[in-house]
Amino acid sequence: MRVINILLVEDDNLDVIDVKRTLDKMAIVYNMKVAKNGEEAIRLLHDKRDSFTVKPDVIILDLNMPKMNGLELLQILRSSEDWKDIKIFILTTSEENEDKQAAKQYGISGYIVKPLKFNNTGSLDAFNLMIDLMNMQN
Amino acid sequence: MKISYVILFSFLMILLLFAATTYINFKQSEKINENHELLARSSIILKQSNRFQRNILNMVSGLRGYLLTNEVFFIQSYDSAMLENDEILDELSVLIKDSVQQKNLLEGISELNKYWINEFALPLIEARKNATASDSSMNAFNKLYRAKLVTGMEKEINRSLQKKFKEFSNHEYAVREQQKLALSSFIQRTKNISFSLTLFSFIAGMAIAIFIATHISSGIVKMVHMADSISKGEYTVSMEAEGKDELGKLGRSLNNMARILSENISLLQRKNDELNQFAYIVSHDLKAPLRGIDNVVTWIQEDHLHELSPKVVEYLELIKGRIIRAENLLNGILSYSRVGRELQPNEVVDVNELLEEVQGYLPEKPGITLHIEKNMPKLFTEKLPLMQVFMNLIVNAYKYHTKANGSVQVYHTKNDHYYEFYVEDDGPGISKEYHKKIFMIFQTLENRDSFESTGVGLAIVKKILDDRKLTIRLNSEPGTGSTFIFTWPLNEIV
Repeated sequence: MRVINILLVEDDNLDVIDVKRTLDKMAIVYNMKVAKNGEEAIRLLHDKRDSFTVKPDVIILDLNMPKMNGLELLQILRSSEDWKDIKIFILTTSEENEDKQAAKQYGISGYIVKPLKFNNTGSLDAFNLMIDLMNMQN
Repeated sequence: MKISYVILFSFLMILLLFAATTYINFKQSEKINENHELLARSSIILKQSNRFQRNILNMVSGLRGYLLTNEVFFIQSYDSAMLENDEILDELSVLIKDSVQQKNLLEGISELNKYWINEFALPLIEARKNATASDSSMNAFNKLYRAKLVTGMEKEINRSLQKKFKEFSNHEYAVREQQKLALSSFIQRTKNISFSLTLFSFIAGMAIAIFIATHISSGIVKMVHMADSISKGEYTVSMEAEGKDELGKLGRSLNNMARILSENISLLQRKNDELNQFAYIVSHDLKAPLRGIDNVVTWIQEDHLHELSPKVVEYLELIKGRIIRAENLLNGILSYSRVGRELQPNEVVDVNELLEEVQGYLPEKPGITLHIEKNMPKLFTEKLPLMQVFMNLIVNAYKYHTKANGSVQVYHTKNDHYYEFYVEDDGPGISKEYHKKIFMIFQTLENRDSFESTGVGLAIVKKILDDRKLTIRLNSEPGTGSTFIFTWPLNEIV
């Protein structure tokens, strides 16, 4: 078992707490950095001094953000060889189906529906994937 | 030119033409009168000239008689003829005063007559008077008589007289003939002119009548077309209106009116669209923070319940309840603003099948049964709006039903213009004063705390029907149940 590195790109503080709370409940051991928008996420990814964020295991991405929105960031992440194998989960409200459809073409690993509920199969799949990742031996 | 001027001008022209015709006919009758007088005068002239000739014969025979018999009676006859002839001459000279030729002839006649009297008759009469006393005087008379006869003077005078009289009457006849010809040609000309004038005024009148009729009628037809288009909802119409007449002005006013109408309508549509969009955005964006509050309350309840006093637990429940109500209201606004103005494509809709589908969505309510008429029509129409109208009405009938056992009936009637669908319940009924109010958004008759209703259902029904220019009405009294009746277009599939 190992600690998984998560980069959460989310501007809403409440949603950050929601994600963290759910990860705790799922007993996922994680190390998290939070970026408030796409630009900040890119900056964190490029910061070599930082031990984990050079290459996180998982990026959880809110599509609806100021400055650089989630889809733009997705485009950038998926066009770079360095970050190609990072698992990306989309954070979305259930109504925003169009965004979800648009994100699918970039090869995302799953989506998490806000507000986070355990009876949502999509969200559950995403967290289970993270648990698998945590249990994987290096 | 103004139509009123055209009409006025046309009538004046036709009146003038008829006045001219009348004037010409009047002139003709005057001419005929004149001719008649002329003929009458000419007849008198001829008659008097005949009398004159007869009198000359009387004078000649009187003179002969006297000369042969010496009877005074003959002289009297001679004298009276002579006197009458003097009068006739005076009369004739008055009658023929215009003609120089006739005057000359008449003077010649008068002179010859005088010459005959003075040179022939009077000497013989004198001689005969004197011949009574002695033989010598008798001889003198005989001698004179013979002398006068021998010269042939009397014959000469008589021939001249006859010739002059013939010329005189011939001239008179010639004048009459000429007059007759002139008159008949004048009558012919008058006939032609008055016929042409009448024909011309008839044609002009017809042409003007046709012009006015077609001009006015075509203008009016154009306006009727335009008004029809406007009433059908095409506001961006205009018509040709170039003339300077009243119709042109009216056309331009109509165009102006249509333009302003169209501007106002499109402004109204834009405002309406903005309002819908505004409602959508506001309700959508308000939902996010509301969900945040709900999340936090949920976390407190789930993770920290053991740290809370019972009062706090109770108040948190109150917050949850208000959040749900706010969310319902926002959802109401969202669905109201989503009722599209755009018409949906028509499809084949079996109303019975549609109502079965609606039945599947109804809330469970024991004791309440839904009765649907067996023979609802099959239509070619917009399915979703019709379904939503039925759904909201039937759901309301269920939701507000207060009796233990009740029924909701759905049936229809049909007239020449549309269907009427009935949703009838035997529930509590609605007082007359609320019949208008219930169709307004967020108006509910129930206490908010006692009943969770957003007051959007009937507003949506009204919006759907209003957008399609259809109507809904309500028959209801408290205690007698409610019947909602709405119209729907007749697009039946046979």
